[in-house]
Amino acid sequence: MNQSFSTKQIIVTGIVCGLLVLTAFFAGCASSAPAQPVTPAATQAPQTTPQAAGTTAATATPPKPVYTPSSGNIVAFTAASLKGVSTRLASDFEQKYPGEKVVFNLDGTQALKTQVQNGAYADVFISASNSYTAELTKGGYFVNGTVKPLTSNYVIVILPANNPANIQSLADLAKPGVKIAMEDKTVPAGTATVAVLANLANSTYSQDWNTSVFKNVVTYETSEPGVATKVGLGEVDAGFVYESTYTAAPNGTYLAISIPKKDNYLQTYTIGVLNESASQSAASDFENFMLSDSGQQDLKDYGFRPLSSS
Amino acid sequence: MSPVPIFSEKTRRTITGIGAAILVASVTLYLALPVIALFFRTTPELFFSTLSTPEVISALYLSLFTSVVSLGVVILIGTPFAYVHCRNEYPGKMIIDTLIDLPLVLPPAVAGVALLVLWGRTGMLGHYLSLSGISVAFTTLAVIMAQIFVASPFYLRQAKSLFEQLDPAYEQTARTLGASPLRIFALITLPLTANGLISGAVMTFGRALGEFGATIMFAGNLPGVTQTMPLAVYVGMEGNFVVGITISILLVLISFAIMIAVRLLARRETFHA
Repeated sequence: MNQSFSTKQIIVTGIVCGLLVLTAFFAGCASSAPAQPVTPAATQAPQTTPQAAGTTAATATPPKPVYTPSSGNIVAFTAASLKGVSTRLASDFEQKYPGEKVVFNLDGTQALKTQVQNGAYADVFISASNSYTAELTKGGYFVNGTVKPLTSNYVIVILPANNPANIQSLADLAKPGVKIAMEDKTVPAGTATVAVLANLANSTYSQDWNTSVFKNVVTYETSEPGVATKVGLGEVDAGFVYESTYTAAPNGTYLAISIPKKDNYLQTYTIGVLNESASQSAASDFENFMLSDSGQQDLKDYGFRPLSSS
Repeated sequence: MSPVPIFSEKTRRTITGIGAAILVASVTLYLALPVIALFFRTTPELFFSTLSTPEVISALYLSLFTSVVSLGVVILIGTPFAYVHCRNEYPGKMIIDTLIDLPLVLPPAVAGVALLVLWGRTGMLGHYLSLSGISVAFTTLAVIMAQIFVASPFYLRQAKSLFEQLDPAYEQTARTLGASPLRIFALITLPLTANGLISGAVMTFGRALGEFGATIMFAGNLPGVTQTMPLAVYVGMEGNFVVGITISILLVLISFAIMIAVRLLARRETFHA
């Protein structure tokens, strides 16, 4: 049916096209490649790292691709708790090894392990759980001799800055009506939390306390930063996270209740180079960097515990 | 004189037939093979034994309960809304038309974030609710709200277009015979559009049953309270693979059952003038 467009239709189409062009313009302006949208059901796209300082906001250059396979680029499947420190690690690594780049895929270790087992490509795997590392080692995914302990982390309880439930001690966590966020038991941080609560119940508080705390859990998140987000939003009264998350957050974001060391669970992170890696030398360079003083210092700055201390 | 074609009529027909067959086969296989592969990844014994585990049963009941409630709310409120929307002109009608379609285009995770930011404890409206002791986020109610938000456009668009396309002669005749608008709606409009409304309801139910992103953002993940079947599949695939496969198969079977039931139910006579 031949019908000329009405003025209204032209205006609306023009506005929509204008918005799309503007969005594309701003995406191209940014010096880093555009971030991938997060779709929970799909595998999480690799988080891009900002380019080295040399790249200016060139308005004419198209956005750089997220990952170009080449001997100098590596993909690191990394436990989500390293989210905060990943930017610094990437830039320090690129400084130390010019020409080599690292792209982090940050997610719960259990999710990353499943992805690798189902054929996802990665060069390096940083795991927050010894049992998942063992599972991958048994499956032959790692290059022999490259699996090494990387760093460690204790569990801590964080509260929103305004402490809505007025929690003053670990005992208060069992108060009726308190909302607690925890990681799912398949997440390494979740297994650690369960162990910590069991230790605390045995040593100081009772099994009833343990039961009441679990009754107060309103959500089992699928990654450790997910719990931190819920606490930061003030939607829950308390959350179990790693100490590094609390230490690295800007002052005043959270309040914290620490857990006595004797009851706490020291989570050990491991790093390893995967057999399927097409950039074995760059991957080993990255592992060496992570284990070197520079990488370890970065981790320490963001609250992780070096392995030599306990 | 027209040029002689290279291929004979018979050859061209055969080629077209083969092309059509390949087209149909590839579309069918692309849709069917992944579903079939699910069934091959487990054994019947494993499937039935996992079916009776508490996490599967609780996810099943929760999903069915919330989806049915969501569907009920959408139908009860959506049908009169669509009717009123179609039969009247009012300022802002075009904006509302667009708003109804918005959840279709909006990524579900964004919908979840939006709901959380509004209804959460520190949310725009939520913090008034929490002052009165009502909490919405991380409850089964949040699951239902998220499902309604993402699934309602399926029903509303269908109802809207059905009411718009209904020949006004039926309603007008009834009016001249003295029927009230309510009676007309209940006894004339609804029976005539029932078939289409049922198919809209089916799509709404399926969408609500499969909702994941908004649920995990707004309602969280708590077995028995907010862990619907899609969430259980996601968590299961990371930890307990067998449970993930079992629930996936369960969802496939439920979807098939719904579609078959609807096709049987909707075999009614359509009314003709």
